[in-house]
Amino acid sequence: MTQRPLPESLTIQTSAVRARRRHDIGHAMVLLLPLFAFLIVFTYLPAAVSLVLGFYHYHLLGVNTTFGGLGDFKEALTYAVFWQALRNTLVFALYMIPATLVGAVAIAVLISEKSRYYALLRTFVLLPYITPVIATSIGWLWMFNPQYGILNAMLHWLHLPQSQWLLSPQLAMPSIALYTLWHGLGFDVVIVLSALSNMPHHVMEAAAMDGATAWTRFRRITLPLLSPTLFFLAIITTIGTLQAFSQIFALTGTQAVAGGPENSTLTLILLIYQTAFDYFHFSYAAAMALILVMIILGLTVIQTWFSKRWVFYQ
Amino acid sequence: MTKRVRGGGPNRSHRAYRTIMRGFRGVVALAVGLSFLFPLYIAGVTSVDTPADVFVFPPHLVPDFDFQPYTAMWHMAPWLMYFGNTAFITATTIAIALATSVLAAYALTFIEFKGRSALFMLVLFVLMVPAEALLIPNYVILHQMNLLNTRWAQILPYGGSVFGVFLLRQFFLSLPTSYWDAARIDGASHLRFLWSVALPLAKPVLFTIGLYIGIGSWNSFQWPLIVTVSHQVQPIEVAVQRLMSAHSVDWRRLSAAGIMATLPLVVIFLFVQGAIVRGLSRGEGLHE
Repeated sequence: MTQRPLPESLTIQTSAVRARRRHDIGHAMVLLLPLFAFLIVFTYLPAAVSLVLGFYHYHLLGVNTTFGGLGDFKEALTYAVFWQALRNTLVFALYMIPATLVGAVAIAVLISEKSRYYALLRTFVLLPYITPVIATSIGWLWMFNPQYGILNAMLHWLHLPQSQWLLSPQLAMPSIALYTLWHGLGFDVVIVLSALSNMPHHVMEAAAMDGATAWTRFRRITLPLLSPTLFFLAIITTIGTLQAFSQIFALTGTQAVAGGPENSTLTLILLIYQTAFDYFHFSYAAAMALILVMIILGLTVIQTWFSKRWVFYQ
Repeated sequence: MTKRVRGGGPNRSHRAYRTIMRGFRGVVALAVGLSFLFPLYIAGVTSVDTPADVFVFPPHLVPDFDFQPYTAMWHMAPWLMYFGNTAFITATTIAIALATSVLAAYALTFIEFKGRSALFMLVLFVLMVPAEALLIPNYVILHQMNLLNTRWAQILPYGGSVFGVFLLRQFFLSLPTSYWDAARIDGASHLRFLWSVALPLAKPVLFTIGLYIGIGSWNSFQWPLIVTVSHQVQPIEVAVQRLMSAHSVDWRRLSAAGIMATLPLVVIFLFVQGAIVRGLSRGEGLHE
């Protein structure tokens, strides 16, 4: 007898819970709707479109969207400028990744000390990171000026041969890498600094007591402990480098056409931009973008695979 | 020998060595720090040069404080309008992205429902989509929506921020569940709890997210360049670029325009540097 009301109250409870659950899921959907509205229209949908756009002949104003198959991909892969742009893109990444890793670690170790003096220097290093690229390119354009620029003046004071910088097909890309390092290295330095501040101090002190030199401590303790951070920075730098657009546009755009001289700074993203928005070959550009995405994916996979050999997780 | 007994010799020279090394490190660090400031300094000096001091070799490095280039540059374009566009785009992007992030992060943390973790994975999936893949499709979509060449075309694509959702969710997860239980017992609804309890506590996180979205939006160039043609809707970065590509522009005026566009960010940076550094160390990798 006493057990009789129990199931009843249980069912009441579960239906109440169920009602609240249904109520809750309704709430959740309403709260999630705004975010997903934006993500669907401007990320999921375009991501899906990007997968197929390269296979169609699409015209902004025309109605006759026709299936083009692999035509645009074939055309891209047989286009000499595409290969040149691909090579430039990889060369740029090849400059940027080691320079970023070495530069970030060296500068972070140099300015990691806790004092007002070093805090001020950290401010200086991070400052360029928040500046607008186009606006700060102007000062650099002037520094790179072969006739009146400060960089050639420095070479002159050091009795070294002067250079054409952005006007030289050999040095234009390294010059852009120099600007990119100036602008972005502060970000990497801050990441390394925060990793350094999480280092186990007792290990360092124990090693120092045992007579390990500063270099040995750095080589045997700091560097292995930093390796996950460095791996993260390598991935981020690769992605950032392959997306680099504004600084190339600004620093080479004052010449005949951005990407010069002699296409030496024409990267894939710049070529995609020109193909789509200067010449309005949308599907052709979309095909090239898809190839670029594949390359990024491939590089990330290779780096991840390679990282197993040198990244040390605690 | 006697020195060693007194304990001064090797110790003292060791201390001297360390002092010298410390000083040396300080000097090298100063040189590195200043080299990051130098390009801004050069632009500043060029922008206040007298005409006679611009085209000289070696370049002179002491400012003349001639502000004529600034007044001349100011009359070359409707800069206030461009600043206004940039400010409107930045403020609206921050507002929309923060609102969508807060609501979604709240639902993904405080409301239990089936498929919640799957939805969160779907949000994180956005990070896997490379920006260059979206360039052309997003242009086509804005064209279909009839929004090309508007300020909204520069705002709406950034309305959903994964970075924001992620950081806010992390923060909400760190709140003790007893807060929510207490509010529930007092009969508070979800929205009431969010507005009166969770949001006030989340202010520092909201500030960091807003800061990052704001800097990104203020400095954006590629997307405005692609989706706008009318000067009336363009931000300051595109206007500065147009001035650069117009040939025969005076270097001093160009430098003045560059300094003018950079200065607001430098001033903001000096005030919020701590938040930027904290945000970088907290949300590694998510803002790119």
